Amino acid sequence: MRPRSRIDYQLEDKFDVVLFLSVFLLTGIGLVAIYSATLNNPSASGNFGKQLFWVGVSTSIFFITYFASPRSFSLVSVPAYIVTVLLLVAVIFVGKKVYGQRCWIDIGFFNMQPSEFAKVGTVLFLSTFLSREKTNIESIWSIISGFAIGFIPVVLILMEPDMGTALVFISLTVVLVFWKGISLFGLFTMISPGLAVFSSMFGTVAFIICLVAIAAALFFFKKKLIISGAIFALNVSAGYLFNIAFKYLSPHQKQLIETFVDPNADPLGSGYNAIQAKVAIGSGGLLGKGYLMGNQTQLRFIPEQWTDFIFCVIGEEFGLIGSLIVVCLFFFLFFRLLKIAASAREKSEFNSLVTVGTLAILFTHFAINVGMTVGIMPIIGVPLPFLSYGGSSLMTNTFLVGIVANIYRNRKQYT
Amino acid sequence: MTSSRKFGPDIRRSILYYVLISFFAAVVLQLFNMQVIKHDFFDEKSADNSIKGIVQTPLRGVFYDRNYRIVVNNKPSYTLLITPAYYSRKLNNVIETVIGADPGYIDEILTDNAQYSKYLPIRVQRDVTFQVISWIEENKEQLPGVSYIVDMEREYPDSIMAAHMFGYTKEISRKQLEMNKDYYDMGDFIGNNGIEKTYEKYLRGIKGVKYVLVDSRRKEIGRFKDGRNDKESIKGDDLVLTIDADAQKAAERGFKGLKGALVAIEPSTGEIIAFVSSPQYDLNNFTTVTPKEIWRNLNSDPDKPLYNRATLSANPPGSTFKPLAAIAALEEGIITPQSVINCPGGFYFGRFFKCHGGAHGPLTVEHAIEKSCNTFFYQLILRIGLDKWADYARRFGFGHKTGVDISEENRGILPSTEYYNKRYGRNGWTKGFIVSLGIGQGELSVTPMQLAQYVALIANDGKSIKPHLVKGYMDPETNRLVPFRFDPIDTKVSRKTMEIVKHGMYLVVNGAGTAAIAKIPGITVAGKTGTAQNPHGKDHAWFMGFAPYENPKIAVAVLVENAGFGATWAAPIAKSVIQAYLNKSGTPKKTDVPNKQNAPNKPNVPKKQNNGLKGEEKIVEASIKN
Repeated sequence: MRPRSRIDYQLEDKFDVVLFLSVFLLTGIGLVAIYSATLNNPSASGNFGKQLFWVGVSTSIFFITYFASPRSFSLVSVPAYIVTVLLLVAVIFVGKKVYGQRCWIDIGFFNMQPSEFAKVGTVLFLSTFLSREKTNIESIWSIISGFAIGFIPVVLILMEPDMGTALVFISLTVVLVFWKGISLFGLFTMISPGLAVFSSMFGTVAFIICLVAIAAALFFFKKKLIISGAIFALNVSAGYLFNIAFKYLSPHQKQLIETFVDPNADPLGSGYNAIQAKVAIGSGGLLGKGYLMGNQTQLRFIPEQWTDFIFCVIGEEFGLIGSLIVVCLFFFLFFRLLKIAASAREKSEFNSLVTVGTLAILFTHFAINVGMTVGIMPIIGVPLPFLSYGGSSLMTNTFLVGIVANIYRNRKQYT
Repeated sequence: MTSSRKFGPDIRRSILYYVLISFFAAVVLQLFNMQVIKHDFFDEKSADNSIKGIVQTPLRGVFYDRNYRIVVNNKPSYTLLITPAYYSRKLNNVIETVIGADPGYIDEILTDNAQYSKYLPIRVQRDVTFQVISWIEENKEQLPGVSYIVDMEREYPDSIMAAHMFGYTKEISRKQLEMNKDYYDMGDFIGNNGIEKTYEKYLRGIKGVKYVLVDSRRKEIGRFKDGRNDKESIKGDDLVLTIDADAQKAAERGFKGLKGALVAIEPSTGEIIAFVSSPQYDLNNFTTVTPKEIWRNLNSDPDKPLYNRATLSANPPGSTFKPLAAIAALEEGIITPQSVINCPGGFYFGRFFKCHGGAHGPLTVEHAIEKSCNTFFYQLILRIGLDKWADYARRFGFGHKTGVDISEENRGILPSTEYYNKRYGRNGWTKGFIVSLGIGQGELSVTPMQLAQYVALIANDGKSIKPHLVKGYMDPETNRLVPFRFDPIDTKVSRKTMEIVKHGMYLVVNGAGTAAIAKIPGITVAGKTGTAQNPHGKDHAWFMGFAPYENPKIAVAVLVENAGFGATWAAPIAKSVIQAYLNKSGTPKKTDVPNKQNAPNKPNVPKKQNNGLKGEEKIVEASIKN
């Protein structure tokens, strides 16, 4: 018997309103803040109009992605990864140098940022790889392959150098293999060399403390002595190799790392920005100084405020209330993504991985950016998704959210 | 496999969930901490960042003369500024050429100021021409860090100079700045001498502040709160001086080419009508930074134009001191008006003390003053005794500062037993030392200021008020004079004695005396000449006098250096000052209507106001002492 009447679907069944609205509102707030941040800055006067254009483009991207065939994403994953990685290679050679970094390729009407698009390629390809039937996350080769897929972009981005975006890729890779179900030991083995390198930046004492902790963890895992020994040796050599490599870095790259380690070492550079950012937000108070009335913002105390320091505009001009609205919108989005990722797992592991990868990318951006501006994270420049000025970033993020909306639309087999 | 089953998808989801939750909590707490708890701290930082206070220097109070004519005024002048933070030394050459400075001038100034914040503008050159300012305006883009401000400087509109009386202002020294940090800043001007110094606290006014918004490059971009927090500067108090511009002018004219000093006082009030030290210096050279060359010239000039002779130069008073001995003798009953002393042409006391002009014969005290008989006064002082005589001299203001409201003053020398004992030992001196004191010679010196106070006291029968140059200040709200109060002086000498001495002085001018030259038609002048022995050159000439004799309105003391006999040079100057002061249409009295053009509604002040303003006056006295 065929059903007589069609099932009457609600809008929410196919369209995730929370997901869409939070992104929509954040992008709108972003435009409002960019307008304020660029109002009194002649060098950036065109940025609001440009961003408006990118919002239009991104809206189209979102709906195209939303309505696309659900199978298309895994199909394009390999070429997307290859193309974006090639772009990352290209940017090292032909990239436009801005403040000592080569992050942009000038393609005439706009400066493209390959590291943004590489997020799409990496999240799709790594999810495809991890969701293959052949992939066994317990096997060492699968783990190494998975990490390799994620870390090839990391190495290329570090050569630009762009510490913040590299951190996003590291976070993405770790979250994806974690979500796939890597064992604690496997995760530890992959992460510990990173910890060793990181601690070695802070000097010999920090490095030794880290090695002791690693040794203790290895003892806890009770693996064979030869394996534990090998992992320990790997950690020691990673720390040493980094210190040797450090000597061959350019002065600017060295300075980036040094400022990252100790922001006060450069109080007039990025350290100054961090102080001014805090002053802007703190002076906003409960209700803010009023739109277009923030003196920190309007008097240009924070350079390029429409990009990495956009959150200060909100904090200063709209106060705690405005900041909390933005933070809450982000967390609506994050919890929604986590929920979709969890519920998508049953039907398609790929879909689940792509969703959690999107969460990893957006949350890492948020955590580094807002954490930096409010002073609970070191100073690393990354854009705040949907709010910061920038076409590449906005298009990438709306594309990723579009994929998740598509996944939501197809989460059930509708008749 | 076991470990991964225990550590399944749900747990992994929870872990991510708690990571999100804890970060959310951390961000919210930190935002609350910054925007609510520490809000005041950040708010202040933010204000410091972008709000700059610019000090508004008040206008200095101006000076009026006793008839409310402006004698010291303000005029605008342009000062070239350089803010080192934005300035490039490559521009030095161009600017030096435009302002006409020597090469290296700007470099030197910038180096001198290197210790201060490079965001503070430095005054590079004051009093630049309007052409320079136009040039800066036109080439603003090419001259980063170069700007200007309008400063006010002194202007002397009337043709009187009175350099030593008015004084001048000078850029504050580092030492003065250390001591007065609460008011002054670098580059401020402060009264250096004369009235400008004494009344600095009245004249300087109250500084204001203008708040402007600056961007991260300290560039001014607008007013803060549309100027609602700004504080207007308050102009300094205008002073009303006691001098009479016409009398002052006459005095300055009289001293052309002469060295010396003149002080004229209104006997009943102690108000100084004219005050001259000659040669003078041109105050117009001191309105801004004085060029080094002018300083050099003034300091090396053998006539010492910077030296205030009126209050600092001390010379023996000569015969002008004879009336003092007469007063002491009459008051102490040592002689009567009718007592006669014979002058045989000199006096023997250990050695021979010569009189002048042969023998005067028997003389009463009046005629002894008239003829200026030395013999009479040689004998008189011996009869009075040194200390009694010195006591009277002290009562008339000698031996100590008059306390006139100009800080630089000499006390002169007034000997007494104590003085000689100290100087020569108890037995190291004889009565012979005293004899010449009777005629105002010897170890005795007085300033023109002291002599003027003395003649004013004689003219006013022994009572007067401490001499002073400033009547009071104009209350900016009521536009009325708030008078300063000065201490009265009382010599406690009887009127009868004073009448006799005054009559003696009347005879000097109008009888067979030494100063017939001082006679003025229609005005009875009384006076006394004197000659100060000068071991370094030609004697100095003194003249003191007062007029009208019947009701003295002006008392004058004049010193002309190296002019010999007092009557020749000194008396005519005194005469012209008296004439200028008394012969004006409508002799100035307290009830005079002030010059309407300069001081509308500036009335004379009823005496009652004196009492009502005691509190104010106390402050005045305290500040004058400083």
